[in-house]
Amino acid sequence: MNDASPIVLVVDDEVQIRRFLRTGFELNGFVVHEAATGSEAIRAATLRPIDIVIVDLGLPDMDGSEVVERIRSWSNVPIIVLSVRSHEAQKVQVLEAGADDYVVKPFGMAELLARVRVALRRQSRASTGEPTVVVGPLTIDLAARAVTLNGQRLTLTPKEYRLLQVLAQHAGNVVTHQHLLKEVWGSIHVHDTHYLRIFVRKLRQKIEPNPDNPRILMTELGVGYRLAQMPTEGENGWAAAEAGAEQRAKP
Amino acid sequence: MMQKSALFMASLRAQALKLFLTLVLVAVVTAGLFGLISVTGLTHGSAIYLIPVLIAATRWGVAAAVCAAVFGILASAFFFFEPLYSFQIKDPHEVVNLVVFTFTAVVVGQLATRLKRQLELARQREIDLSDLYAFSRRLAVAFDVSDIHAAIEDHLASVMQRKVILFGPQRDATAAARHAGSGIPTAVLDMVDSMASGFDAGGGQAAANGTIVAGDTGDVWLVRAVSASRREFGVIAINLGRASPANQDALRARVDTVLADATATLDRLGISHAINEARMRSQTDQLRDALIGSVSHELRTPLASILGAATVLGAAPALKDEKNLKALVQGVHDEAERLNGDIQNLLDASRISSDGIKPHLEWADPADILHSALRRCQRRLGERTVTLDLAQDLPLVHVDAVLVQQALVQIIDNAVKYSQAGSRIAIMARARGDRLQISVRDEGAGLSEAERATVFGRFVRGERLSATTSGSGLGLWIASAFVAANSGKLSAISDGPGLGATLTVELPVAQSAVPQLESDADE
Repeated sequence: MNDASPIVLVVDDEVQIRRFLRTGFELNGFVVHEAATGSEAIRAATLRPIDIVIVDLGLPDMDGSEVVERIRSWSNVPIIVLSVRSHEAQKVQVLEAGADDYVVKPFGMAELLARVRVALRRQSRASTGEPTVVVGPLTIDLAARAVTLNGQRLTLTPKEYRLLQVLAQHAGNVVTHQHLLKEVWGSIHVHDTHYLRIFVRKLRQKIEPNPDNPRILMTELGVGYRLAQMPTEGENGWAAAEAGAEQRAKP
Repeated sequence: MMQKSALFMASLRAQALKLFLTLVLVAVVTAGLFGLISVTGLTHGSAIYLIPVLIAATRWGVAAAVCAAVFGILASAFFFFEPLYSFQIKDPHEVVNLVVFTFTAVVVGQLATRLKRQLELARQREIDLSDLYAFSRRLAVAFDVSDIHAAIEDHLASVMQRKVILFGPQRDATAAARHAGSGIPTAVLDMVDSMASGFDAGGGQAAANGTIVAGDTGDVWLVRAVSASRREFGVIAINLGRASPANQDALRARVDTVLADATATLDRLGISHAINEARMRSQTDQLRDALIGSVSHELRTPLASILGAATVLGAAPALKDEKNLKALVQGVHDEAERLNGDIQNLLDASRISSDGIKPHLEWADPADILHSALRRCQRRLGERTVTLDLAQDLPLVHVDAVLVQQALVQIIDNAVKYSQAGSRIAIMARARGDRLQISVRDEGAGLSEAERATVFGRFVRGERLSATTSGSGLGLWIASAFVAANSGKLSAISDGPGLGATLTVELPVAQSAVPQLESDADE
């Protein structure tokens, strides 16, 4: 990955959307490539070095999750999809197909940038083997299997730790219910959503400074959970832009 | 032919059984009479044989009654009249007695049989009337054409105790095409189609007379129009089973009676008019919903560009010190967002009315739903203080969490819209018995009694404040539809205009149905 200017591939059939995304990304120091169809996107992704892909799910020539699957078959480049509201099943499907995260249309530039930075950071952490994930006052040391809150060591049950571990491996990105259930309890419990609800409650009691107002382990209704303090759907584009800038300023 | 002889054998067996039972009755009475004579010394008691005659007449009909009479005469002659143990009778006086007895037995038998038949008819009539009453009650609450057709179908099926299928007058598809593979014989479907098309060519009367069609499994079906003059009532097919021709005629007569009553009811209620009107209305509704759906979708794409571009502009370095320009861009953004909200409401509304809502049920934590809803409303809250009061250990609910969240967003939005900046909004969640209650209390405009009654209506907006607030009047209607789709209930209470309002979402909690964790869940 090019540290100076990350390269983003924007895939959307609407020229106006591509235009504002290009401007927005360029203003934030990205190099932008564009594609209007799924097949163009796949070609572009094979021909050039790309650091991150933004894919609209409503492409004219193929299903968004197909584009994700095809790119995923040879590359682990981060992929963020743009979806419309009320299509939770579609979001889950495309996340299962290998997308890293999603943003709901209409969205603000700051919200998308924040998601992009999380995905890029995760990618670089994965490549350098960095074992520690920090979310506000919470530190998860994946190598030592140690979790501390404000410096205090926490005692977690094996399943609680496993749940936190899977979320930490995707820190900042959403992880679907199915994925969590499969990773923590095994494939036969993939529909036992109540396991998750009960264990997330228990986990929040331990890792959240204020369990009644979770700020670390966030719910993405109908889709899954996300570990981080990220600006999310419906929040002010302006406030989020500033928050995003602050986050960027942090090491 | 096989069937006919089988039927005949069955009826013969029934007759033989009646005869046998009659014989047993006479024997019992004879034995009883013997006992009576030995104890009391009575000389003759042929009148006592009226007892088996009456029983046979009321139970098994006039033939059995006559048999009982004959057996009674023979038994009297044999056992009780001189010479004993012979069918001869010496005393002419007793011969007269026997003639009188025979006559009485036959007359009484016939009377009893007739009485029984009348009783049965009256009972049948009573059942018919109560069926017809249930039928009219169902018609009165029928909502659309298919409700009315289902009511006719069920009524006939319950009266006839047979399989009845009603084919509504569809113009676009034949019955053969619509019901292919449903187990209804093809010959029957073809007859239904030819009858429906013949109706237009003046074949109404012929269609109402009906035709017997043989199915492929040996059953026969009666196919006929419900009414000779009204095509919109449709055509019915009734499975008559393996009825004999004589039996078929009886069943057809019965169908005639039932349908005559039913169509009279339909006419009395003006159903024909209602059917035609409902069909027109539902077509208009469908058209409007489709239009709203596609227009809204077309509007959202450019809006996504406008909103996105506004955020890029607002954060652009070139505008960093341009306060006024930045405010303009913020204005573009906010207005576009409001428009987007309205379009989303229209889309939700068309989704509710076009194909109903199919909730995707999952176990969800009510606290998660509330936090997500609040997160989505955060920016619209302005300077209002929100307090969130969640009971510890709220039960999990089995709902479509996204739908419930959207309902709550509508409710909170509504509270914001009708309250002043600086006021408080209190949100509370409690388990109450088998319900989970989430209430949103504001200090806003409140509701009058009249407003309270209509607040969940479609396109209903508070009259008092319509000049000063914006909106489509869809919000709470959508909220209540989304809550209802999760088997919940949305209600509103208010102390009156200006005194704030409390909206409460009630969701079912099936405490016993919450699946238990397997014991190894935390190993």
